[in-house]
Amino acid sequence: MSEVKRCTLLEAVNLALHRAMRESEDVLVLGEDVGINGGVFRATLGLREAFGFKRVIDTPLAETMIAGLSVGMAAQGLKPVLEIQFLGFVFAALEQLLAHAARLRCRTRGRLSCPLVLRSPMGAGIRAPEHHSESTEALFAHIPGLRVVIPSSPARAYGLLLAAIDDPDPVVFLEPTRLYRMNPQPLADDGRRLPLDSCFTLREGGDITLVSWGASVHETLQAAERLAGQDVSAEVIDVACLKPLDLDTLEASVRKTGRCVIVHEAPRSCGVGAEIAASLYERALLDLQAPIQRVTAPDIPPPLYRLEQLYLPGVEDILAACEATLNYA
Amino acid sequence: MNQPEIPLTRYLAPDGRPCATLPPWAADVDLLTRLYRQMVLTRLFDLKAVALQRTGRIGTYAPTLGQEAIGVAIGSLMRPEDVLVPYYRDTAVQLMRGVRMEEILLYWGGDERGSDFQDPAVAEDFPLCVPIATQALHACGVATAFKIRGQHRVAVTTCGDGATSKGDFLEALNVAGAWQLPVVFVINNNQWAISTPRRIQSGAPSLAQKALGAGFAGEQADGNDVLAVYDRMQAALERARQGKGPVLLECLSYRLGDHTTADDATRYRSAEEVKRAWEEEPIKRLQGFLAGQGLWDEGREQALVADCQARVQRAVDNFEAAGNQPPEAVLDYVYARWPAALMDQREVLLERAARRAGGQGHE
Amino acid sequence: MKYFKLPDLGEGLQEAEIVEWHVKPGDAVKADQLLVSVETAKAIVDIPAPYDGVVCKTFGGAGDILHVGEPLLAYEGEEDAGTVVGRLEGGHGGAQEDSFFIGAAPSTREHLAPRATPAVRQLARRLGVDLAGLAGSGADGLISAADVEAAAQGERERFGGERLRGVRRSMAINMARAHAEVVPVTLYGDADLHRWKAARDPLIRLAKAIAHACTVEPVLNSWFDGRGPSIRRHDRLDLGIAVDTPDGLFVPVLRNVGERSAEDLKQGMARLRADVQARSIPPQEMMGATLTLSNFGTLFGRYANPVVVPPQVAIIGAGGIRDEVVAWQGAPAVHPILPLSLTFDHRAVTGGEAARFLKALVQALEAP
Repeated sequence: MSEVKRCTLLEAVNLALHRAMRESEDVLVLGEDVGINGGVFRATLGLREAFGFKRVIDTPLAETMIAGLSVGMAAQGLKPVLEIQFLGFVFAALEQLLAHAARLRCRTRGRLSCPLVLRSPMGAGIRAPEHHSESTEALFAHIPGLRVVIPSSPARAYGLLLAAIDDPDPVVFLEPTRLYRMNPQPLADDGRRLPLDSCFTLREGGDITLVSWGASVHETLQAAERLAGQDVSAEVIDVACLKPLDLDTLEASVRKTGRCVIVHEAPRSCGVGAEIAASLYERALLDLQAPIQRVTAPDIPPPLYRLEQLYLPGVEDILAACEATLNYA
Repeated sequence: MNQPEIPLTRYLAPDGRPCATLPPWAADVDLLTRLYRQMVLTRLFDLKAVALQRTGRIGTYAPTLGQEAIGVAIGSLMRPEDVLVPYYRDTAVQLMRGVRMEEILLYWGGDERGSDFQDPAVAEDFPLCVPIATQALHACGVATAFKIRGQHRVAVTTCGDGATSKGDFLEALNVAGAWQLPVVFVINNNQWAISTPRRIQSGAPSLAQKALGAGFAGEQADGNDVLAVYDRMQAALERARQGKGPVLLECLSYRLGDHTTADDATRYRSAEEVKRAWEEEPIKRLQGFLAGQGLWDEGREQALVADCQARVQRAVDNFEAAGNQPPEAVLDYVYARWPAALMDQREVLLERAARRAGGQGHE
Repeated sequence: MKYFKLPDLGEGLQEAEIVEWHVKPGDAVKADQLLVSVETAKAIVDIPAPYDGVVCKTFGGAGDILHVGEPLLAYEGEEDAGTVVGRLEGGHGGAQEDSFFIGAAPSTREHLAPRATPAVRQLARRLGVDLAGLAGSGADGLISAADVEAAAQGERERFGGERLRGVRRSMAINMARAHAEVVPVTLYGDADLHRWKAARDPLIRLAKAIAHACTVEPVLNSWFDGRGPSIRRHDRLDLGIAVDTPDGLFVPVLRNVGERSAEDLKQGMARLRADVQARSIPPQEMMGATLTLSNFGTLFGRYANPVVVPPQVAIIGAGGIRDEVVAWQGAPAVHPILPLSLTFDHRAVTGGEAARFLKALVQALEAP
């Protein structure tokens, strides 16, 4: 069925899960409140009704168990799509991810592998209580053996999640909570996968390259629109696949424009922006007209919601960085 | 399979009539009245918090509706030198311990000052804990400190039924049993972990018996019977304080409200079940008992409610008057002192704050 | 369905009995419209609708008791909040098309660098190979070192020509290096040799004259290091003499010119020249010159701006001696003229110093 429907990012995730589970019986979903409740954000809505309790599993409350179980199931050839209710609760699962999911293929020289997908809502900006606003994608991007994907639109969520489920390696698929219900867009349930090692250029431009991912893409696009009003043409790239990074696209854009601003919600130090900046300097130093700017959160835990706006990079912050870059000596 | 004997304590039937011989201390009318008053205050404050969320004055809140007896009993028995290590559905015990209502509102209202308790009685209590069951290990750490220093203090930690599935909980029980720590674990088994009912959370007939695997006593109490909780809590605290090791007390209750103000429990449980649970609720139960003893009446009820409403309103007024923290607050408490190497971030932050103040917002 | 639950009735009341419903399933209701009347222990309370909508279902009938928080009424068709914490902003309408390029935009594709590791890029730079347009033999078109070397070989073959070796190769490399560093300025002058009694070996006279000029402006007899920058003066003149051979340019060094006799220098030069012709000159004999003389006039030419070879700061070029018509004491006369060129490195030597040096050189040459 390739009918086109207006979908939010959340609905696109749901659509992709339904399709993946239809296409292969090995795909199953597990996590807390994913079955009867359809997920606390309704990402798994309707799956229990469609595919039954053996493939849509409401687990006891235990993230270590959910991740560890998924490793075992994946090694047996199943394709578990596990949900961690909020990224802030993933830490109990880290040992299973780092010590096992990321290494099983390598340790057994390919005899066993771990094709699981870990889905989790990430990021701040929804006035949530403590521990529900984390952006720790850098932790995962740092682990060899994992893939890390963060969609920023319904179409990309759909295509990337399908590809992630297909992928023979473990994928951490982080969904920006703030974007879940924003900006519904026309989407065809056509099963079309998107590549897991590409950036996506959302806006073509020649004066400056804006690089972002996750919910920050929303503000970055707004900044590009404002720049257009000032006759500055910005190229906006959604990194989307943080590991492995498509540095060729980023490099080519920076060679073209000579200026770059990276925007991410995660704290500055050792964020993925640092990796991108370092790599761009290595590859395109002589093409840069100004230092690369990073617009990020400061090095603090996400504050409770009253001070959240100081943590999150805003459109004006991005514009200020662009101005500094464009007016560099 | 031989299931272990897990004692269950209940003194009052749902309608308030005694169903077992009451313990001697239950003759203390002042005590019972105090417990009753505190439960009513807790409920009224809890309802007010929900109303404040609905009108956007605080953020998401986890209501205690129907579970007031557990927290009030715990809080009234703990000594000032004991330490509470709560989870997140602990309005009742926090209020009883000395956390101020305005602090609770600040916390759920998105302001970290809500965890900076002012009352000396709670100076060492932990703040609410969101990552499930992680607090159980903190309590063991606190108890270990007590033991190392030879102090007769007890760490009390609470959690829900869902939390008992987590590794942290089981590791906490294990070390508490291995080291005979002065810690009391209280499970608020309100039958629901968001949409997950108790029966699929664990295959064990009782959660209390998990203590047996760790080598110490586990028991159950009717969580809607404040006399039962009080009685067993008193015994548990005494035991721990005397260095006889930890106790696990599972309080059986029901989550009459939603998981949080953002949850909608009608999606996954029936109205009939909730209606039946209301008949067991703790406040009506104790009220029934007191009235039956001629110790309570409508006039006193009205006066109590009016007094509680006034206190709650005063707290809400204080909360609204608290204003906002300055922007630097997001940096000032991350380290003992914000590092010189990160000073440029401070400048960036203040620039950002100036932009926000100038109306150049994020949305 | 969106559920509206029995709200807090105030005054600590927990429950209420339904007295009368004022709406039924299917009714469209507006916010604040009266939904139901309930009786509490105190009074009859009217419950208003919290927002607009269509009633899907009501809970309980007259006489039923409901508790605070229990569902009272369900609205039709409303999405649930779909969260368990916080608040998710809804769709902002305007379903703008989500168009995007996978990877680079078209105008960026031109800038896609050929895929090669840093080491291979450096090799390409060194060999002068342009990576653009090179097909890589590795995975995903990765360009390997072998690909680069094959391209360089190919280019050489297309260019033809023989690879330079030995002295010619050194010249190519050293001249390029000198050009990159030195800031050359050339001063021209002429020496009128009409006073010379007999035909003397101009080379030795030149050498001695240069030695004399060095005493007048010693800075031209120095070594300069651009990195310091620093300058090292020499007490004696070790003069490099450019010698042309079929194999290329050799520059043996005549040591300590200032202290030696003309005869000694002549013999020394003859020995050096013989060794050069015989290809038996040891490398040391060509190292350590503090100044250089290029006597190209023995072949052809008048003036030049020869290349200063660091760390030296100057080079003297001597052209061919020829008779010229000059103005002498007010009248034309024919005199033998030796054209001179002095190229100096302006990083180390000023124009004034160079001029004074050249003047002294000419004066020494013009002496009988």
